[in-house]
Amino acid sequence: MSSPTLQVCRECGGGAPVDAHFCPQCSKILTLGRHGDYFAFLGLPRKLGIDAEDLEQRFRGLSRKFHPDYFYNAAPAERRASLERSSYLNDAYRTLKQPITRIEYLLQVEGLAPKNPQEASRQVPPALLEEVFALNEELDEIRDLRSGGAPAEAWKSRLERARRPIEAKRVEHEAQLEELSARWDALVESGAGERDRRAALEALRDRFLERNYITNLLAGIERELNAAL
Amino acid sequence: MSRAVGIDLGTTNSLVAYVKDGVPVVIRDRSGDGLVPSIVSVAEDGTIHVGREAQRRLLTDAQRTVYSVKRFMGKGAEEVRGEARHLPFRISGEAGGAGGSGGVVRIGLGDREFTPPEISALILRELKHRAEAFFAAQGDIDPDVDRAVITVPAYFNDAQRTATRDAGRIAGLEVLRIINEPTAASLAYGLDKRHTGLIAVYDLGGGTFDISVLRVEDGVFQVLSTNGDTYLGGDDIDVLLMDRVLADMTPVASGFSRTPEAVQAIRKAVIQAKWDLSERDDTEIRVGEYRKRITRAEFEALIQPIVDRTLGPCRQALADAGLAASQIDEVVLVGGSTRIPLVRRAVAELFGRAPHSELNPDEVVALGAAVQADILITGNREMLLLDVTPLSLGIETMGGVMSKIIMRNSTIPATGSEMFTTGVDNQTAVDIHVLQGERELVGDNRSLARFKLRGIPPMPAGMPRVQVQFQIDANGILSVSARELRTEVEQTIEVKPSYGLTDEEVERMLLDSFEHAEADFEARLLIEARNEAETVIQATEKSLRASDFAEIDKAELAPGEREKIESVLSGLKLVLNATDRETIQKWTKALNDATQHLAEVMMNRSVSAALSGKNVNEV
Repeated sequence: MSSPTLQVCRECGGGAPVDAHFCPQCSKILTLGRHGDYFAFLGLPRKLGIDAEDLEQRFRGLSRKFHPDYFYNAAPAERRASLERSSYLNDAYRTLKQPITRIEYLLQVEGLAPKNPQEASRQVPPALLEEVFALNEELDEIRDLRSGGAPAEAWKSRLERARRPIEAKRVEHEAQLEELSARWDALVESGAGERDRRAALEALRDRFLERNYITNLLAGIERELNAAL
Repeated sequence: MSRAVGIDLGTTNSLVAYVKDGVPVVIRDRSGDGLVPSIVSVAEDGTIHVGREAQRRLLTDAQRTVYSVKRFMGKGAEEVRGEARHLPFRISGEAGGAGGSGGVVRIGLGDREFTPPEISALILRELKHRAEAFFAAQGDIDPDVDRAVITVPAYFNDAQRTATRDAGRIAGLEVLRIINEPTAASLAYGLDKRHTGLIAVYDLGGGTFDISVLRVEDGVFQVLSTNGDTYLGGDDIDVLLMDRVLADMTPVASGFSRTPEAVQAIRKAVIQAKWDLSERDDTEIRVGEYRKRITRAEFEALIQPIVDRTLGPCRQALADAGLAASQIDEVVLVGGSTRIPLVRRAVAELFGRAPHSELNPDEVVALGAAVQADILITGNREMLLLDVTPLSLGIETMGGVMSKIIMRNSTIPATGSEMFTTGVDNQTAVDIHVLQGERELVGDNRSLARFKLRGIPPMPAGMPRVQVQFQIDANGILSVSARELRTEVEQTIEVKPSYGLTDEEVERMLLDSFEHAEADFEARLLIEARNEAETVIQATEKSLRASDFAEIDKAELAPGEREKIESVLSGLKLVLNATDRETIQKWTKALNDATQHLAEVMMNRSVSAALSGKNVNEV
């Protein structure tokens, strides 16, 4: 499936590249109809390594170009276009700023996002079966201790201990995600073929889902700890 | 060319400013006073006083005088009951929130009732007049002021922002933009020096507290995070002091009777003492014969809990911006309550640096609003404000849980969308409940509105894919649109604000009618005629849709009666938007007449249905 490369200016009917913000012919702001993705909108390649300061500068620069403040006296169509473009810019900036949401977005535009994200985050990833099984057993025992009236210190330190391997997994996964991100970027740069790209993305997706699962596990342990207070 | 101004619509005082040769200036009265107390008083003869005169009347005619109305903006009556303790005016209003709709506080002054936006509109009109008199005096050809930027606390929710915008409209102003007070202040501060870096704005006013963290670079003032409490400010300090005085006084039985005026005299005395204690180590609270010495140490012990309540939001804002307090380059103080030494010490301690206060903390917000008004009308691109939405926006999902669609601290304008489908075959409408807040459960968050999504093409259950798009504009105000993706059919949305006025209500309240009475009279009659027509249309359509209508049609209506109703109904719909009032009224009457028999039939049926459900003895 090839993505569209042209859009049409509703003002003058002229053609413009899909990621142009203003019409090259009449210089009016373009309606946000047909457009690329967040990366292209910000003029960035579809890569996961993004320089934070560069992103900030692009964001500020584009904000200055089409923020609604500067279109207050413009025609209604231009005002609407400015609102749409600014909203899209803000959404793009917010998504690409954090490495994790950036990966999630890349998977989505590459067509690899889980169809039902909530469903996916509930299923135990095969690579984590062992840890999750051990943790659940431990949690059951801790709950028994608690309801049996054991002193807080006793089961709390056990809960802390149960958290440690999960925490270690998280650190491991963040490192792997970074590594896989770098691999993806290298493939984009070298213009690698569809098969290699696909494989890299699939690895990225699996780590990403596992990482989400781990984050949820840790949040669950956190809740257990706080519930006892 | 008429003028545009910036307005700080404060809890205690309001100000108006404009930009002269690139520099914002507060507009003052002849005695040099820039503050208009945010107080409105309605005299026995109906005369309306605003500002200083209204303030004086608090001591002589307290029950006809309202202050701190900002605390009631966008609120339901049940939310503000606790506040009513020391207030001289009556508060009432229908319930709002999850169950009902349109719950708005009503403020009773004498025999009249006002909504908070109407009171605020009276204050705005006073500021408008002050500015117009000023421009006329300096010889402007067109001194009219018809456009304004109005500021709100950053932590104001959608209902409170909308109420403020309504107030502007009621006052006959085109509201160019609603902007946040701390952000406006930063804009005013950014003028004299070329600021770059991370700035925290701590804004403790009469009724509200805000903290905003900004990054300023290349003239772009980008808010990274904001937090606050819209029910925390100098008013709370006053109430603490008043309670102490009242508790101290009563046993003396010094002939003091607790009339509203006497309570206001105490309020005035404790406010004076509060001010004194920012300058001195001790002072005396004086009310009539009553004297009470109070030291700064005692005062600080008393208000410590209030100051402490501002620190949690500060820490949260820093955490949300991903910053440590030590990374903040500059701290700016805004709002009269930041004159209190304890507040300054607490802020200095939290951020590890002395805060700025070169600009008058009472005036800096209005100055920033004037700068923003100038940007909007001239297209001056030197500076740009990028603000955020203070609270997450979401919808109610299964099990009474809120599902977030736009997260707090998202830069605005922002969008979010959500897919809906149907649960029953051929279902054509879906109910949506929009919420604002950070909590898990619906009941713990603020109900903004209920929407009914209509016009979904009939399909098997689960087939429609209705995309609902939420748009927060640059004012921080929400709008909603919806589209069914399979058929590309745009859905209509009926908005029922949980707390707030409908457009029609705002129209009816326009203060313009005071000034251009005659032109408005006809316009109002036209609006009323349309409203009446709409009521009749809705009632008729409801009857035609009733589940037993087909049965009634067959058994009770004369041949051709239904066709007649339908043709008059479509006729009235056609003329509804005409500007000819009499035509609308003629068709309304025709529809009324045509449906009279149907209405009687339906009424009889519902009465007999109600009776048949009970046994004879109960009747």
